[in-house]
Amino acid sequence: MKSSSALRNGVITLFHSLNPNPNSYKTIPFRKFISINKSSLPSLPTSDPQKFRFFCSSMAQSGDSVYSSSSVEKQFEGFRSTLEDSGKLRERIKAVAGEIESAARFMHSGLLLVHQSRPVPEVLERAKGQIEVLKGLYSNLAEILKECPGQYYRFHGEWRSETQTAVSLIVLLHWLETGDLLMHKETEAKLGLGSSEFGLDIEDYLTGVCFMSNELPRYVVNQVTAGDYDCPRKVLNFLTELHAAFRMLNLRNDLLRRKFDGMKYDLRKVEEVYYDVKIRGLTANGDPGVPRIV
Amino acid sequence: MFLNSSSPFKRLFLMASKPQHLHPIAEASVLTSTKKPRTMTTVSAMKDGFANYTDYLNQFNDKRERVVKASRDITINSKKVIFQVHRISKSNREEVLEKAEKDLAAVTSQYISRLVKELQGTDFWRLRRAYSPGVQEYIEAATLYKFCKSGTLLDLAEINATLLPLSDPSLEPLQINVLDYLLGLADLTGELMRLAMGRISEGELEYAENICRFVRDIYRELTLVIPHMDENSEMKKKMDVMLQSVVKIETACFGVHPLIYKISLRRRA
Repeated sequence: MKSSSALRNGVITLFHSLNPNPNSYKTIPFRKFISINKSSLPSLPTSDPQKFRFFCSSMAQSGDSVYSSSSVEKQFEGFRSTLEDSGKLRERIKAVAGEIESAARFMHSGLLLVHQSRPVPEVLERAKGQIEVLKGLYSNLAEILKECPGQYYRFHGEWRSETQTAVSLIVLLHWLETGDLLMHKETEAKLGLGSSEFGLDIEDYLTGVCFMSNELPRYVVNQVTAGDYDCPRKVLNFLTELHAAFRMLNLRNDLLRRKFDGMKYDLRKVEEVYYDVKIRGLTANGDPGVPRIV
Repeated sequence: MFLNSSSPFKRLFLMASKPQHLHPIAEASVLTSTKKPRTMTTVSAMKDGFANYTDYLNQFNDKRERVVKASRDITINSKKVIFQVHRISKSNREEVLEKAEKDLAAVTSQYISRLVKELQGTDFWRLRRAYSPGVQEYIEAATLYKFCKSGTLLDLAEINATLLPLSDPSLEPLQINVLDYLLGLADLTGELMRLAMGRISEGELEYAENICRFVRDIYRELTLVIPHMDENSEMKKKMDVMLQSVVKIETACFGVHPLIYKISLRRRA
């Protein structure tokens, strides 16, 4: 504001110096002048400055105005402080989300050892340690969200992809341990969520499960290489069931839909490995085969 | 077990848009689960779980559709209010505004009220993308009407106060959030620009000056708020458009100002 009024004064002085007789406007190429200074229109030197008030960029103090800009100002001041507060909250959430991401990354790198055919229980134990870390971080997040009840989905974007990754790892871990799919409620419980408003979004869970399926073809190949010829059949059974279950969902055209569409390629890769193993006669005697669901 | 696991499928059969694909799957899986008792528990656990997710997703998507429809209805009818306000002229001011007020009240009671039930709890933020366009248009209509009526800015608190009677006491009242209010205000300047042009062409220069002052104030206040808004890319675009409107009003006011007008006449002569 200060600089613009200084500019205006400058312009006025210039105006005066160019035009010592303020009444002979004719001599000034006025419109051209204005077009250059569109943003800071000069006040005209005149005997009646009131008339020109509306040209000033600061007209807040005009007492005879129909509306009062001070009430406008007050409202916006309120907005600014509420928005600043939610901005601070978002920063805190972002910080925790960053920690969740790094914990998930640790867990992922730990779980990657299953591809190197390390003894599985040892690998799983190490990865499990990170679940506790994640649990702690999610409880931090839930604590922060308690400050703004009802606004889970306002900030959801900050932890969405991190959560999907975390879900995929936890579900994979559980599958490696038991061969079953960890369902939504169970996953939520593993993360220590669900008791308060802060829960695990079902779509995030489902997306995480799709991510988990992406990991399986590679796992199958590596297991076969390491000599576990029964693995492809087990994985194929599981993926076939999972794919059939996903086909029950009416999805929208969003990320989840695209991830689900990708699942059939995982299924196909695993089928190919199973086929290779079977045709080479590497399967164990009495292979019960794969139930055809689809 | 057989009955239990098949009942969600029956429901699915009724709800699914392409039942001919889904039905055979359900039957096949039931068959395999009876044939292979060992895997039956895990299969049906997964199926049961996914039947729940299906219900959940169906319900939520239906809700989203209802909110989108309500939002469109709000948009259309708020636009009508805005057009009504633009019919204002020196002679018919009172009656035009009276009708606009009635129409606006109808939008509130008929269409905004439909949102109240849908946006309880966390859905208010979850479905914001679905209803935000309608609410912004509504804000635009309400603030435009208010400006023409009294020359003042309608506060968010005032708008939210009018929304309180819409919900019965068992529900949380719908309260428009700051972000949608600000986005609506940004659109308001475009309408005010049109209004100013109309007023100028009818020779109501004082009125146009008022509009000019008002719009500048809003623009100035918004510049301070924008950096703190959640996703401000939409708002930044609106600000560019807004500046154009402000400049247009300024230029128009300038061009018709008695003194300037005299100069240009003299120059032409």
